[in-house]
Amino acid sequence: MLTVESLRKSFQLEEDEIRAVDDLSFRVEPGEVYGLLGPNGAGKTTTLRMVLGLVQPDSGYAEVSGYRTAVDPTAVKSRLGFVSASDGVYPWLSVREMLLYFADLYGVEQSEASVRCERLAELMGISTLLDRRAGTLSTGQRQRVTLVRGLIHDPPVMLLDEPTRGLDVVGVQTIFEYIEHLREVGKAVVVCTHRLDEAERLCDRFGLLHRGRMQQTGTLDELRQNSGHQHLVDMFVDLLRS
Amino acid sequence: MSGANFKGRLLRLCQKELKETIRDRRTIVTLLLMPLLVYPIMSMALNRFLLSSGGIDEGFTVCVNSELESEILDQWLSNPNSAPPKPVADSSGNELAKFRVAVIQDVSPEEVVARNDADVGLELTNIETGRPTATFYAYRGDSVSQAARRILVERLQWLKLAEAELLLTATVPEYRTPLLVKAEDVGTLEENSLLATIVPLVLVLMTITGAVYPAIDLTAGERERGTMEAVMASPVPRGYVLFSKYTAVVAVALLTAIANLLAMFTTLWAGGLLNLLTGGDAFPWLTILQMFGLLVLFSGFFSAVLLSLTSFAKSFKEAQAYLIPVMLLSLTPAMLSLMPGITLSGALTILPLINIVLLARDMLSGTVDPNNAFVAVVSTCAYATAALSVAARLFGSDAVTRTSEKSIGSLLKRPRDPSPRPTPQAAALMLALLVPVYFLVSNGLMRFIKASQDTNVETTLFLNAIALISTFGLLPTLAAWLARNRFKTTFRLQPSGILSIIGAILLGLGAWTLAHEAFLIAESLGVGGLSDQQIAGAEATVAKMRQTSPLLLIAVFALTPAVIEELCFRGYLFSAIRGAASPLRTVLITALLFGLFHVLTGSALLIERFVPSTLMGLIIGWVAYRTGSVYPGIVIHFVHNGLLNTVLYYQDQLGFLGAGFDDQTHLPPHWLAIAAVLVLVGAGLVWVSSRNRAETSAMPSENPAPPTNDSEIA
Repeated sequence: MLTVESLRKSFQLEEDEIRAVDDLSFRVEPGEVYGLLGPNGAGKTTTLRMVLGLVQPDSGYAEVSGYRTAVDPTAVKSRLGFVSASDGVYPWLSVREMLLYFADLYGVEQSEASVRCERLAELMGISTLLDRRAGTLSTGQRQRVTLVRGLIHDPPVMLLDEPTRGLDVVGVQTIFEYIEHLREVGKAVVVCTHRLDEAERLCDRFGLLHRGRMQQTGTLDELRQNSGHQHLVDMFVDLLRS
Repeated sequence: MSGANFKGRLLRLCQKELKETIRDRRTIVTLLLMPLLVYPIMSMALNRFLLSSGGIDEGFTVCVNSELESEILDQWLSNPNSAPPKPVADSSGNELAKFRVAVIQDVSPEEVVARNDADVGLELTNIETGRPTATFYAYRGDSVSQAARRILVERLQWLKLAEAELLLTATVPEYRTPLLVKAEDVGTLEENSLLATIVPLVLVLMTITGAVYPAIDLTAGERERGTMEAVMASPVPRGYVLFSKYTAVVAVALLTAIANLLAMFTTLWAGGLLNLLTGGDAFPWLTILQMFGLLVLFSGFFSAVLLSLTSFAKSFKEAQAYLIPVMLLSLTPAMLSLMPGITLSGALTILPLINIVLLARDMLSGTVDPNNAFVAVVSTCAYATAALSVAARLFGSDAVTRTSEKSIGSLLKRPRDPSPRPTPQAAALMLALLVPVYFLVSNGLMRFIKASQDTNVETTLFLNAIALISTFGLLPTLAAWLARNRFKTTFRLQPSGILSIIGAILLGLGAWTLAHEAFLIAESLGVGGLSDQQIAGAEATVAKMRQTSPLLLIAVFALTPAVIEELCFRGYLFSAIRGAASPLRTVLITALLFGLFHVLTGSALLIERFVPSTLMGLIIGWVAYRTGSVYPGIVIHFVHNGLLNTVLYYQDQLGFLGAGFDDQTHLPPHWLAIAAVLVLVGAGLVWVSSRNRAETSAMPSENPAPPTNDSEIA
């Protein structure tokens, strides 16, 4: 469903060349939740941006349902849902107007978009908020709106960038339920996070990223076997010290 | 996507941007509240200002302390001897300033003036002696107060003088006035030009104010709110999003313009100042419409400028920091337009903002010069295109993400990887810069030639060639270098076969007849045509050119334009436009641009050149498309120009051919037949030589250039 193959990306900062992503490869199947884990600056967001076509890789490629980002960015983007913790809302639009706007951006037929809007709003418990001005929503309500927005075009692949950042316990629980729903409906999901405890509960497979390189990859059991540690946190501490 | 779907989607995107902006109360403040507050205040200030010129019927207020003083002042002013002598009074239309006398008993006149409750204060002492002393008080630095006192003092001086002369004439019969004073006016009356300048200036500034907030909010604001990245992650083309934002900014700017136009004219109408502006009391709907047209143009231009600047900014604050200097910079030319003697001509026609203010002023006073108006409109459109292409280049690229390291300087940074041809946006930017640069260079050249009387023909020719090279040659080259476009594919330097070159020579030999006939047809339809004066001017130029070597003429008027113009139009522009348009559209657009630039020459607009030049552009464009190379076009251009120049040079020796080349008549049928054969054979050779080409090397069909790199690090 989603294939990332030998992606590389470097940035020039002043005189120094910084390798943000270095020969990164992984694959996510439908119904699978893949945790791309790493500390801040590990290259997680850059990877997602390369998959989305917002950043051009130096080499390698990302492929979604057989379409490569560099070759057919429109086909790829229309098959990707993207939700980030820093996503905002349009304060002067109603929630419904905002959701329909994004449906339009993804080319969803208006009648179909209205149906999806109602259905997803019910699923995420925001039906009563649809005609409220987005600027008046609480943080938790905004988060739910953003999650609905990411699904409005029914993409087969979802990319979630630090989805629990800045959320309280209820907010985090909402994310857990959301990801569970995505798994149930057969989406391929990539979750980028540095919250390793949450990742342990959420993800089926993991990729541990450090300084742009994939250090370890596999299921939790495989990682435990390879590292000799019980928890992802301990594996990471080892990684950072090495 | 079908056409209807495309339009519907674009419309909905525009609606969303507009809704978002219009619902914001900050937009409403600039849109409605400002006009409601500004104009009544401005009207009051104008009323006060215009009083100094005696333009208001109510006149000046003089304050005195007693009825007696009021009566004495009335007597003095109603005495005909207090009026200036006829020769002086004639210069002001024999109209005397009016004074209203107010008697205030509790406060001294001095204090009343100090409080600004009257224009002048008068105190009369020694009345009982029969020789009263009049003391006039005026407010220091207040032009109205000072003018009122000056007039009063002058009136009393005239009165004293007249009575003294009466007495002197009665006592000394031989007395004659030693000096006669006359006052005469020169020049034409510029009625209320100040008001006619202030009105458009304020409207332009208010339109800017209206556009600033939405421009920031819809770009930097969206980025700050965290919605931009989600939009850019969607498959909608960036151009759609930018277009919808541009539409919203222009719409709000125009709504502000309409609100301000109506508020301003209503205030002027209610305040009785409208007749000073338009010469009548009727509400000037037509003038308002004309002004609105100009504001549409200005909004289109300034909104593009604002969007291109705010596209850099990562936050509202940063965007404001970029815009404040621009606003201050805008004020400088705006203030310049208030200076007396400033007219819409020369370089001012291409100076952004001021050209619109001056054109609006000319519209209000009904003195629009079509040539200057055309240049002002075209240059403003060019700037709008340039700004939009900058915005298109930045919007949604690296600069969209929140932590981008890009800055304004990155616009001039060369990309790391070469590309086969320029983007249409880069071409639009180059083209937009070409308009003012070409205007300045060609005007500067003319001024230099006129200023140096002894400039010989060779120097003039040399300067002509330099002007062409430094504009049409240098700008595309610089643009291609800056964007790291491969020169070979950008300027379409692929070699073409010998057959196509022979075809091009034949086309060059025959095509001028088509251009000539097209010119005559256009002339009969009222497009272009030459006046007797123009023909005489052309003949004088030809006579002058005959003083020099024909080879030099060929080099300047045939070789240089053939190489430089072809590299620009059928090289750079052709390859850029071809990246986004079909071959037919590419040929049409480049031909129209070719025709337009032949019209825009120096200070005069050579409309008559449009039809033949566009036709030549079409022919050469077709050849360029078929052959995939710029070279056959250069050959056609060179042979065409070279032939015409040679014929003009040897005109006298070619009389035996039967028809004069300078004649404004149709060519003889046998000439046309020969030319038609040449054109057909030439076109046939070009067609045959390029049958198997199918746009292979010349028009690479690569995918559009991928988005440029992001300098963000996760």
